[in-house]
Order: sequence, then structure tokens, then C-alpha cells
Amino acid sequence: MAFNLLKGKKGIIFGALDSNSIAWKVAERAFEEGAKFTLTNAPVAMRMGEIQKLAEKTGSEIIPADATSVEDLENLFAKSVEILGGPVDFVLHSVGMSVNVRKGRPYTDLNYDWLAKGWDVSAVSFHKVLQTAWKLDAIAEWGSVVALTYIAAQRTFPDYSDMAENKAYLESIARSFGYHYGIRKKVRINTISQSPTRTTAGSGVKGFDAFIDYAEKMSPLGNATADDCANYCVALFSDLMRRVTMQNLYNDGGFSSMGVSELVMKHFGTD
Amino acid sequence: MSDIASRVKAIIVDKLGVDENEVTMEASFTNDLGADSLDTVELIMEFEKEFDIQIPDDQAENISTVGQAIEYIEKAVKG
Repeated sequence: MAFNLLKGKKGIIFGALDSNSIAWKVAERAFEEGAKFTLTNAPVAMRMGEIQKLAEKTGSEIIPADATSVEDLENLFAKSVEILGGPVDFVLHSVGMSVNVRKGRPYTDLNYDWLAKGWDVSAVSFHKVLQTAWKLDAIAEWGSVVALTYIAAQRTFPDYSDMAENKAYLESIARSFGYHYGIRKKVRINTISQSPTRTTAGSGVKGFDAFIDYAEKMSPLGNATADDCANYCVALFSDLMRRVTMQNLYNDGGFSSMGVSELVMKHFGTD
Repeated sequence: MSDIASRVKAIIVDKLGVDENEVTMEASFTNDLGADSLDTVELIMEFEKEFDIQIPDDQAENISTVGQAIEYIEKAVKG
């Protein structure tokens, strides 16, 4: 169902790889709600995925950018403003990667070059996006910026490894930059802490399927899906949530407030 | 070892963070050298850049070992 919540709004969506991607669903929903936007991803991810299909479906242009390259981001914002006809109203940052996780490196034996690469891609890229937009004055007043994160930033999930630190770093940038951009331009900056979601990136985490089942059984409303996340993003991009900023917002069916559930207890037998 | 073979191997060592001794002709990128789907695409793009060639996706799908990569690139460079 569409409500024209984003009618006339312009945006940039990072990180749509294929139809399993959360960013893909956000693009589809934003389009349904009347938004115009550009799509961006790293050249390697563009080649790996199917972003062209999404661009055709939503009438969007693709501007390749490595989110760790300030030069690429300057080009992305400049071109987006030109194509869309003015500064953007929303940005989705759905970018993250840990080389240590991908290579199965134990947390107690991390490779620090890989660690640095991971935080650059997963967290510092968010600062680079915001600083680039700030310098080019490329986000409109009352704009809304959302980055996707995970509860491993607050609680320990061993297989999430150094991505936990990357997400904590990302969430902190949302708060710090949220202050400055709020003062200057009333721009809102939030992170959505999403249930584990079966995407190409998510499936890189060891034992992911079992973990999704666990989270499902722990959450009173069940796991939030990629579609649920897209709806939340659209709401945050809309004018209905104008004074929500600098927050880490859980979209997780209640998981983050749980200690244990009956469904999980059943796995451990009864007295 | 040919010049092309040694350049291919150097790229693999650098990109996948593996030891040079592991990069044998028979080694499979995914099964032996720990490459995931993103690594595989990155490797193909690195080969294209290094040798100034284009490897179409349907051809890239057939390159799963070090030897196959070297063979493909040697032909493409000469062709």
C-alpha cells in the first residue's frame, strides 16, 4: 500500500546488490511512495549483483562509488544533485564488510590490516558520506539520513567478530554528526538496528541460519524482515518523524528487550 | 613460469591474502584459497585491469582455478 509519503523527495540509496538486499527493498518502497533517487554501489558489487534491474524498475540512474573514496563520494553527491534537480532529502547507508569475518579469522587472532579495511568500509564510510554532503551542502533542510546496524554493537554475538566494533563506530558517528547536521540544517541522522536478515552480506556470518531461527524464537513479534526495514526507512525519510534524530532504533520484533522466551526455553527441556 | 603466470599469482596472493606456495595451478579459488563470491569478482576485475582485457561474465564463470585463469588470460592477451 502506498501513501505518497515521499512524494517529491529526492534521495541516494547505497548498497543494493540483489533483490535480497535491504537497500533493494528500500528503493522499491521509496519508489512506491513517490521518491526519486540515484542508486550507488561499489564497482565490484555492481558487477556481482543486479543493480541494473533495480534502476530500470525504479527509473533511477546508477552512479558507481567506492564509499571509502571521498573523491567518488564527491562525484556521487554532485551528480545526484544535478540529476535529481537539487539537494537530496534522504540518504540510506547500507554498507558493511569485515575481511576478518569473510576469511573466517578468529576474533582472538585478527589481522589488523583487514580490521582497518573493515571499519573504513563499514563505519568511516558513513562519516565520509556525511562530511562530503556537508561540504557540498547536498542535503536539504529537514533531510533524513539512515544507516543500517546490528545489536552486536551493544551485546556480544561471537560470530559477528570485528563487525561488532564497526557497528558501534557507525552508531557513534550517527550521534556525533547528528548533532552538527541538526544544528546547521535540521538534518536527522539515525541508525536502524535490524533483526538478522538473510541477505548476501548476512549469509557471510557463520551459522547464520541457526541464528536467524534463534532470533525468531526470541522475538515476540518474530524477526523484522527486509520489507519491514524498508517500511521503517520510508517512515524515517518522511516528514512524519521530524524530531527523531541521533537515535539507534531497534526494528527487531522485540528481541533487544528480551531475556529469554518460552519458545527458546523449550529447547532446553522442562522440569 | 611465464610473465603472465607470475603476475596472475601475485594478484591472487595480494587479493586473497594467501601464501605463495598455496597458489598452485590446480588450486581452486573457492575450495582451496578461501575466496568468497565477492573475492571472485574482485579477482576477475583485477585481472582485467592488470592485463587491460575484458572478461565477460559468462566466461568468468568458467574460471575457477589458478591454471584456468592463467590459460584464459594468456589467450586473451595474445588474441
